[in-house]
Amino acid sequence: MRRQTTFAKAGEVEKKWHVVDATDVPLGRLASDIAVVLMGKHRPEYTPHVDTGDFVIVTNASKVALTGRKAEQRLKMHYTGYPGGLKVRTFGEVREKHPERLIEDAVRRMLPKNRLGRVMLKKLKVYAGEDHPHQAQQPTPMQVG
Amino acid sequence: MPRVRKGAARTRARKRILRDARGYFGVKSRHKYQARNAVIRANVFAYRDRRTRKRDMRALWITRITAACRMRGTRYSRFMNGLKLAGVNLNRKMLSQLAIEDPAIFDELVQISNEHSRATPAASSN
Repeated sequence: MRRQTTFAKAGEVEKKWHVVDATDVPLGRLASDIAVVLMGKHRPEYTPHVDTGDFVIVTNASKVALTGRKAEQRLKMHYTGYPGGLKVRTFGEVREKHPERLIEDAVRRMLPKNRLGRVMLKKLKVYAGEDHPHQAQQPTPMQVG
Repeated sequence: MPRVRKGAARTRARKRILRDARGYFGVKSRHKYQARNAVIRANVFAYRDRRTRKRDMRALWITRITAACRMRGTRYSRFMNGLKLAGVNLNRKMLSQLAIEDPAIFDELVQISNEHSRATPAASSN
């Protein structure tokens, strides 16, 4: 039987670089558009068991938009394992102190929760400020929102 | 009734099972009982997945067509509807292959679809 559907092969996929300016883009909308590109679902040769996604650079992560009152109200929590070890921070605080973390978390949860998903996440590069060290990859600007 | 001796038959039965279990993990490819369970289970999955494969492939083609449509500023549902109104009877498998192998033809298909679509052209890709 001749296989009629093309499957991309790992290692033969040509990966591009995209750069996104997060300034004033709502967090969830930004993350869902990035997740599509990381998974490779923006390409017609998308193959579920192979990483066909591109690299995404996010700049100005500290200026990402949180709509409504989410900056003050919505909480990031984690439990350290010690008694009374629940750490609570608002999204606004996290955005100030660790601007990369908000976007990385949001995108990670939109990716597949498996080995391939973890590989995909490594193609996401988030930077708080304007600059990024990936000029050599010649990223192209990406449309989001 | 004569007494039945099983020596050779038993060996043959075990060998058949172990042959089917070749390459399985650990004890499943070496011990008769574990191998038999693994083989039965594998056959169940194989039977089921020959059927689900047809659905899985169709879902994959649709995902790929969606990607190709979005690159060209339209969406899957509008594109398929336009093709139907235009009387284009290409199936999803062929459409997804065209999107990969011959993007120029796919450009034309999108154009044909847009011309016959009753929906107003999408303002953005979303």
